[in-house]
Amino acid sequence: MTDLDPALDLRRSRHDPVPEHLAELERTWLSPPGFLGWFTHVNHTSIGLRFLITSLVFFMLAGLLGLAMRMQLLSPLNGFLDPDTYNQVMTVHGTAMMFLFAIPAMEGIGIYLVPLMVGARDMAFPRLNAFGYYVYLIGGTTFFASLFLGLAPDAGWFNYVPLSNRDYSEGYGIDVWTTMITFIEVSALTAAVELIVTIFKLRVPGMSLHRMPIFVWAILVMAFMILFAMPSVIVASAFLMMDRLVETQFFVAEMGGSPLLWQHLFWFFGHPEVYIILVPALGIVTTIVVTFTQRPVFGYTALVLAIVGIGMVSFGLWVHHMYTTGLPLLGRSFFQAASAMIAIASGVQIFSWIATLWGARIRFATPMWFVLGFFGVFIAGGLTGVMVASVPFDRQVHDTYFVVAHFHYVLVGGAVFPLFAGLYYWFPKATGRLLHEGLGKWSCAIIFAGFNVTFFPMHQLGLEGMPRRVYTYLPEMDWTFLNQLSSIGSLILAAGFALTLWNVIRSLRHGADSPPNPWHAPTLDWATTSPPLNCNFARQAVVESRHPVWDWSRDGKRGVVDGLRSDRRETVVTTLLDARPQSVQILPKPTPWPFFSAVIASICFFGLIFSPWFYVAGVFGTFVTFVFWFLPRKREEVV
Amino acid sequence: MSEPVIETHVEVDASELPRLTPHTHPLWWGVLGAVAIEAAVVANLLTSYFYLMAQNEVWPPEGVDPPDLLYATIVLFVLPLSSVTMWWAGRGSDRNRKTQLALGVTASVGLATLALVFRSFQIAAFDIRWDEHAYGSILWAITGFHFTHVVSAILGTAVVSILAWKNYFTSERQLGVVVDTLYWYFVAGVFIPIYLVLYWAPRWL
Ligand code: HEM
Repeated sequence: MTDLDPALDLRRSRHDPVPEHLAELERTWLSPPGFLGWFTHVNHTSIGLRFLITSLVFFMLAGLLGLAMRMQLLSPLNGFLDPDTYNQVMTVHGTAMMFLFAIPAMEGIGIYLVPLMVGARDMAFPRLNAFGYYVYLIGGTTFFASLFLGLAPDAGWFNYVPLSNRDYSEGYGIDVWTTMITFIEVSALTAAVELIVTIFKLRVPGMSLHRMPIFVWAILVMAFMILFAMPSVIVASAFLMMDRLVETQFFVAEMGGSPLLWQHLFWFFGHPEVYIILVPALGIVTTIVVTFTQRPVFGYTALVLAIVGIGMVSFGLWVHHMYTTGLPLLGRSFFQAASAMIAIASGVQIFSWIATLWGARIRFATPMWFVLGFFGVFIAGGLTGVMVASVPFDRQVHDTYFVVAHFHYVLVGGAVFPLFAGLYYWFPKATGRLLHEGLGKWSCAIIFAGFNVTFFPMHQLGLEGMPRRVYTYLPEMDWTFLNQLSSIGSLILAAGFALTLWNVIRSLRHGADSPPNPWHAPTLDWATTSPPLNCNFARQAVVESRHPVWDWSRDGKRGVVDGLRSDRRETVVTTLLDARPQSVQILPKPTPWPFFSAVIASICFFGLIFSPWFYVAGVFGTFVTFVFWFLPRKREEVV
Repeated sequence: MSEPVIETHVEVDASELPRLTPHTHPLWWGVLGAVAIEAAVVANLLTSYFYLMAQNEVWPPEGVDPPDLLYATIVLFVLPLSSVTMWWAGRGSDRNRKTQLALGVTASVGLATLALVFRSFQIAAFDIRWDEHAYGSILWAITGFHFTHVVSAILGTAVVSILAWKNYFTSERQLGVVVDTLYWYFVAGVFIPIYLVLYWAPRWL
């Protein structure tokens, strides 16, 4: 009986639920099995995992596209991809990595872990959660399908006008892009609201804001950033859609429009976007550093302030993507200073981690290896970041491979390494099995080596003047050797990822059983079975510090909530600041309506590519499904 | 098992806690989140308006008049009025006066529909189409955005008023009303900045 929630073990306390009681609770929270049942799931553990798995599949597909580009650039004047295809592959790679992999993966990990970490039984709006997932799934799948139909967008991941205007991009490619963006906006915004409300209101009694795990803080900041950043890309893509569809003139200079408006709106979202990806990753890193040193994080308050600060300052940086657009000097100087400021907040974090690690007995398991990889790669990316933040330097390397190197260092260092660290760390939570340590360490080492071989030479290529987004280059440019090195590196990199994939597949079947708290972590996500019960916690906990699980094993006792009904889905609601018990929320049962709403909404979004009338159809169609979705529940269920 | 035995004791008894708390329910926060998103969209739209305005020397373009004030100004009063009836309905629901609730929401739906009619007149009278100049594009886009929101608020509230006449809302079940009211206030309130920008910015600036 190693995988029991402490609250379930009847030897321990007379206050724990009797087995029949627990069985009823588990039936109440059961997600229906079977193929049709799949479309009705609302539990956050189920939706969170779906987000994660789907995003990892997209990661793999987009990674293969990255490999394809590297194969094309293996030698000068290579013919592996023709120019049109290269543009499509490049655009789909960039867009998918940003919108279909990085953001949803972070949301997914938040959706899976936040309720567990704050001790709730589910999220505040489970059906909305499911809706967001289906929208994401449908949008992402169609986006990739467009590549195979030859309908893919080809104007780069930031899709600048006028290139993406109707005059210069005929066909449906750009429309597919704007539509896909709309899907991702919808699903990201639903996830953001969902996460914020869950964090604000569903924390267990006693978990006041200053006792919240850093990871939860990070997700909170991420959610707020999504809330304020996404609207500007909503507006931008809506304008572009209208320019292409009904001939509005927002971006057409001759008709009073302004192409630069696109850049402002896009980067006002696009820059925070990078931090939307980074901030949760910082949360993962902190969690792992704390657990693997077995000490409280150094400077909790400073760290929280730094994360919040990064979130806020990142909204003041967007113009540094536009240094070459002829901005006034004062404007450029302002944004240069703001860009330097972000280094302060990042510095605070790094010093908090160093101080936590200093002199500790660190446990070097695979998650910790990936965290160390993160330090190396991300800091290198940060250094080139400080370089390109300075206007004169940026004007030299703008649109060269130096920039490609820089942002892969930040993105792979800042998102992929932490995500893999998290994968190795929480895999036992989600599956009850451990990943293989040896394979994991090899995978980490190979990814690290392959990554640097792939992307380090790009710095030099950029300094030598190789522009980004070119499908080939000439032999007399002398860029061949470095490109070859980079292409070989990408194969090593792919092998490293494949090793982890193999590790996952293997461990699902044959992995060693995991003890309930394999890393001896302090947070509530480890205070239940692995995988978690349908209801997450047989008894919701009451906490008294930042490290409840450590307290319990030190004191030999713990407080719990009693009096929740087991014949319907209930979870405790607490006050925003101090988490005093306030009321009980009754959560909805499984239902297929979110799925139907998502299908109707998707049909109408895609229809928009062909006719504006789908807008009207969409408003009314989704409205009808929403009515069914929210249709009053039976009286007995509510009172 | 080497894990130490952990004694469990009950510290919070949730059976006493209220189950139905319309004014502090998480859904209330959720709608607040939706309102924040929408407000950010409006802010982006209005900023774009000023950005385009700054890019053009003549605004509105040569030979185009700023939109007519009459109907828009009527709407400016009708929409807040509908918020008052909505508020009155909400008070009715808080005190379990069912007729007051039903009357109030129905009145709001009626008033907002009236506002839509005025709005339509006024849109029909716009001096420029959306495809003639960026000025027309942004004017139509912002107007269309708000129009859609009024329509969706009316649809949602119409459902609430049907349920209200059918006596669905007991005092414990008024969450739907509270949430709908919050959204309504937003849709009515956001017209004020939109009105100022679309109707007065081209006259004053
Ligand atoms: C897995 C290994 C990866 C490889 C081999 C790879 C390769 C490449 C290459 C060669 C380009 C340059 C295209 C060009 O300028 O012609 C590129 C662009 C890009 N990559 Fe990656 N990449 C990888 C991972 C990632 C990840 C993890 C992300 C983000 C999370 C990412 C985001 C981007 C973006 C945003 C672009 C810019 C696309 C554009 O110019 O519009 N990549 N990648």
